[in-house]
Amino acid sequence: MHKKHSKIRIFLSVAACRFTRFALRVLHRGGTTLPGRSAMFFDKTILEVVSRDMEIIVVTGTNGKTTTCSMLRHALASAKINVLSNLSGANLLTGITAEFTANASLLGHPKKHYAIVECDEGALRKVVPYLNPKCIVVTNLFRDQLDRYGEVMHTHDVIAKGIKLVPKTKLVLNADDSLTASLGENVPNPVEYYGINVPYGKQEMGEISDAKYCIHCGTEYKYNYHTYAHLGDFYCPKCGYKRQTPSIAVTAIDKIGAHGSVVTSSINGKETSLHVGLPALYNVYNALAAVTAFDAAGFNKKYILRSLSQETSSFGRMETFNYKNTDMQMILVKNPAGCNQSISYMTSLGEDYTGVFCLNDKTADGHDISWIWDADHEFVAEDPHCKHIFVWGTRSEDMQLRLKYAGVPEEMITRVETPQELIDACADAGRPTFILPNYTSMIELRAVLGEATGKKEFWKEQA
Amino acid sequence: MSEDVLKNSQSLKICHLYPEVLNLYGDRGNIKCLSQRLAWRGIDCTVDQCHLGEKKDLSQYDIFFIGGGQDFEQEVLLADLKSGKGDEIKSAIADGKVFLCICGGYQMMGHYYETHDGVKCEFLGAVDFYTKGGDTRMIGNYAFECGVESGGSTIVGFENHSGKTYLGKDVSPLGTVLAGFGNNGEDHTEGIRYKNVFGTYSHGPVLPKNPAFADTLIKTALERKYGSSLLEPLSDKFEKAAHEKILQQVLSHTTSGD
Ligand SMILES: [Zn+2]
Repeated sequence: MHKKHSKIRIFLSVAACRFTRFALRVLHRGGTTLPGRSAMFFDKTILEVVSRDMEIIVVTGTNGKTTTCSMLRHALASAKINVLSNLSGANLLTGITAEFTANASLLGHPKKHYAIVECDEGALRKVVPYLNPKCIVVTNLFRDQLDRYGEVMHTHDVIAKGIKLVPKTKLVLNADDSLTASLGENVPNPVEYYGINVPYGKQEMGEISDAKYCIHCGTEYKYNYHTYAHLGDFYCPKCGYKRQTPSIAVTAIDKIGAHGSVVTSSINGKETSLHVGLPALYNVYNALAAVTAFDAAGFNKKYILRSLSQETSSFGRMETFNYKNTDMQMILVKNPAGCNQSISYMTSLGEDYTGVFCLNDKTADGHDISWIWDADHEFVAEDPHCKHIFVWGTRSEDMQLRLKYAGVPEEMITRVETPQELIDACADAGRPTFILPNYTSMIELRAVLGEATGKKEFWKEQA
Repeated sequence: MSEDVLKNSQSLKICHLYPEVLNLYGDRGNIKCLSQRLAWRGIDCTVDQCHLGEKKDLSQYDIFFIGGGQDFEQEVLLADLKSGKGDEIKSAIADGKVFLCICGGYQMMGHYYETHDGVKCEFLGAVDFYTKGGDTRMIGNYAFECGVESGGSTIVGFENHSGKTYLGKDVSPLGTVLAGFGNNGEDHTEGIRYKNVFGTYSHGPVLPKNPAFADTLIKTALERKYGSSLLEPLSDKFEKAAHEKILQQVLSHTTSGD
């Protein structure tokens, strides 16, 4: 044990963490910051102690962190491996510290050997030196929550800084994202790439791209094909920077459906059919990330290939509730790329529905909500199956304004004041309902919907 | 000629400069706002984009829009400005054309940007002001009141910049800061108004939530082109709701909480 961690400090740290966590639960509060803070109050770097010698996979990136982690967790569970993991709302240093500390003995020894950690991009460099992970997965980089991170290049750079601190850790990177893939250049770390080898969707990039110009020389990228947003087989005509050939790849897309996808994959040269039990192409990417990380961490692939097909929607991510006989599907949306994906899903199903957009501007969401203007709500406005729209949240006034300029008639939009009012109005409308909330509005709404339909609160879910 | 006939023959051409680079923070909402507000009044409107390296006759446009971009991409753009487009922009300004320039696009109109370590990056120099890199990021919702020559309305928006902008003697600010930082966080000025160039740090995007300001731009362009500008009022119910919500918050220095 390091000198800087005295036994008494470790004891106090673990005890304080456990106590605050217990107290919060008794008070029916799901907070995750306080337990981490109290642990760190007694030993600032307790995370290093309580994760010692564990084998850890860290997942970061703009979109898909939570889903990728959940895929990894389920695969390990199916292999009967007991694994520690944190919740999406607790992916900063304090939250991660809380999770590990609460799961250690009072002497600070970890009780589990494996962990799957979802880590915020900005927190990566604070977390990885303590965790010393076996592998770091970077799913993708999109513009997100601007006022917290500045720009997408800034996010890229802070991830690179984190990687620099752990030169032996294996990197699992999305080959199709020019920003993410460049993290594997000029580093001593071993790197595994995953990607999709075939085109998907309209072969044109939307008006808004988060990475239009070469990260090295500023020349506009060319593409042999696109998959979604700025992802695809890119290359720079000037300096030669281009997509790496992935070792784990999708070679044919057989079916992308509302309830799941079937694709053909090539895993280190071997062709396998892959079933993903979640809708939309971005979940195929998440599945690839999970398979590659699982393999890179040394687990037997057969477990994850099997468990992926049983993957069901998790907390707030395409989770479906039935309230007063109305199906309400919640799809977390935090940035333009994710929003466009969810809109294209909702408008592709071909049945009448009620659309709901929830927008908060609390600290965890980012106070800047201008990104809603970079998403293509026009497609909802044009969709004859969208029969009515409700908006709710601290910035619902901005949301309804966005929809008006997208072309939705004012009388088709209703602003409601509370989540209860919202779900009752949707139930009264009686159509299948798609709810697209951002982070804190999802948390609030999830609590009300969960209560109303008898689903568990999120912090109880992993217990 | 009756008013109706006159109006129906009116049309404005908008040029979105460098949409592929300066197109962040929802700023394309400004173009959407201008063209919708014209369409709702039966005034014809076309929107063209002018990309990097593209040659276009800029003298045919009435309104130009330049948004904010990532620092990394701004270098690409400066090279293009120097290859001739910059001079065309300057003559359009001299000609009284309407320019809306946001954040990075606003800074670009000035003389230069001086970084922390004293490196000067030459900008277009179309308007007499300059920007210096600062230590702190000036970030958050803010509000300012436009000068009478720019319509006199109150504007709410979101600022996010570390550069501090200082105006030359003969350049007026667009307005006076009510809450927030503005140009430099020191002298309570925000933005610039020079001829018909309107520069501001306000993202949001700025126009949809500030319909009076959007209409000021439209009126200025119509007046320049047709000598008169009677704009039918619009209901602006949603616009006002969004404006009021954030104005109250900014003026009372509150946020939506954690
Ligand atoms: Zn290049």
